[in-house]
Amino acid sequence: MVACAVLWLLPAVWVFVTSLKLTQNIVRLPPEWIPWPATLAHYVEVLFSSSRTARIGRAFLNSTIVSLGTVALVLLTAAMAAYPLARMRFPGRDVIFVLFVGSLMIPNAVVLVPQYILTERLGWLSTYQGLIVPEAAMTFAFGVFLLRQFFLTLPAELEDAARIDGAGPWRIFTRIVLPLSQPVLGALAIFAFRSAWNDFLWPLIAVNKPDMFPLPVALALLRSAYSSESYGPIMAGATLSALPLLIVFLVANRRIVEGVRVSGLKG
Amino acid sequence: MRQRVLTPYLFLAPGLALFVAFRVYPLLDGLRLSFTNARLGRAQYAFVGLANYERLLDDTRFHVSLLNTAFYAVASTLPILAIPLALAVALNRGASLRTFLRSAFFFPFTLSVVTVGLVWLWLLDPVVGPLNYYLKALGIPVRSWLADPSTAMWAIILTSVWWVTGYYLVIYLAGLQDIPRELYEAAALDGAGGWRSFWAITLPLLRPVFLFVFVTHIIGSFQIFGQVFILTQGGPGDATRTVVQHLYETAFQNFFQFGSASAMAWVLFAVILVFSLLQFRLLRGHTQY
Repeated sequence: MVACAVLWLLPAVWVFVTSLKLTQNIVRLPPEWIPWPATLAHYVEVLFSSSRTARIGRAFLNSTIVSLGTVALVLLTAAMAAYPLARMRFPGRDVIFVLFVGSLMIPNAVVLVPQYILTERLGWLSTYQGLIVPEAAMTFAFGVFLLRQFFLTLPAELEDAARIDGAGPWRIFTRIVLPLSQPVLGALAIFAFRSAWNDFLWPLIAVNKPDMFPLPVALALLRSAYSSESYGPIMAGATLSALPLLIVFLVANRRIVEGVRVSGLKG
Repeated sequence: MRQRVLTPYLFLAPGLALFVAFRVYPLLDGLRLSFTNARLGRAQYAFVGLANYERLLDDTRFHVSLLNTAFYAVASTLPILAIPLALAVALNRGASLRTFLRSAFFFPFTLSVVTVGLVWLWLLDPVVGPLNYYLKALGIPVRSWLADPSTAMWAIILTSVWWVTGYYLVIYLAGLQDIPRELYEAAALDGAGGWRSFWAITLPLLRPVFLFVFVTHIIGSFQIFGQVFILTQGGPGDATRTVVQHLYETAFQNFFQFGSASAMAWVLFAVILVFSLLQFRLLRGHTQY
């Protein structure tokens, strides 16, 4: 089992090892698994070079802004929508919920062209909002579903007590419901971050200014910009792009697993 | 539960606006576009009835894409159902280092499809890639896996399996942990061995998990794009061309035909719906124990 897991990680290790090698050592056979002498030159090149293609540093910034923006928008809209769906009675509630859940079956590829036309008409191509808002829309329904499941489990007495003290619904939502929901909000945040950070197809279409490329698009173009022997910069870029989620993953391992569990079993 | 009439709708308003503008409206607008001759940059366009759909009947590249996509979805199903399950059962037996092992398998799932594609492009490189070097050392005949039409799609399936196994592993693990221990203990008392109780208890009780993995995997498979875009661009020839790639090229790269691409999107949607319903039919009904 351990051997299996190590084997599973080897491709990723190979990327990291390659990114540290001197260019002339990269394509050597037999494959060398210890990058010695090691160099950070490829990282310097993709982060700081003024070359037109190697804009990984800028792409990193773009991806960060887009992903954090998506997380914020998803958390805000999904929490606000899930709260009345879980804790209030009103006409249309069940229809709205069924619509949200049903939309989870819509393949993203199906809305690609009309979403492009809409974004273009709004003047949002190659802008942050043109990436953030559609990415948030892709995750929104799942977020409502996840949060509603959790809100349903909160004890009603807490709300009743607050109501007797004269708190309105907004106050109950922000002061009682949200603080109690931190674990599930965290899981949703990680989920939304991951899907925005890694999405490729939408930014490939919606961005045509190199300065606005997020990481996956920049990496794909980096590949076509270099000849196939120059794996160093590509692998340095790949390592950099994997870093944030690796850190999140190491810090919040259990929460991610919980998030996947909930999303999987109750979906 | 006293509240003002408007309160729930005010809470829902931002989310509903996002949902209607960027999910519902594009979905319906796509259906409308599929009956028009809309193009990128063309302000005026006309309704053309079913012409786009009729043209798809003659579009051999679209047929090839659809067949390739279906082949990918079907051929990858067995490994995607079986490998994570085998790993999950092994991990659930209480292997030491469980968190480490689970993390090791999960890690690739945190990468973007582009990174995964680049990793495997490099590993599978016929000349300087490590994979062929080690296969040769083991005496296994090698080839240019990605340049050979008979292996290219399998190479793509391999990369996908590497990418998503950890995700399904975690889902299976959760399903396994929900099976009451007493069932296994009772079976052991009745003299059932490990293999027997796997068939008689584990598999039947995992049916809902199978259904979820199966449906999720098929919906995802029919939209495969990134792996192909990075590894083969649909080649060699059209051996790995997929529907979403064909759609992408029709709408955004070669022809800018929005009407035609929208018709493809709806055909794809219909295919996915049919497959999902078939799966529900196949796996539903016997879940109660």
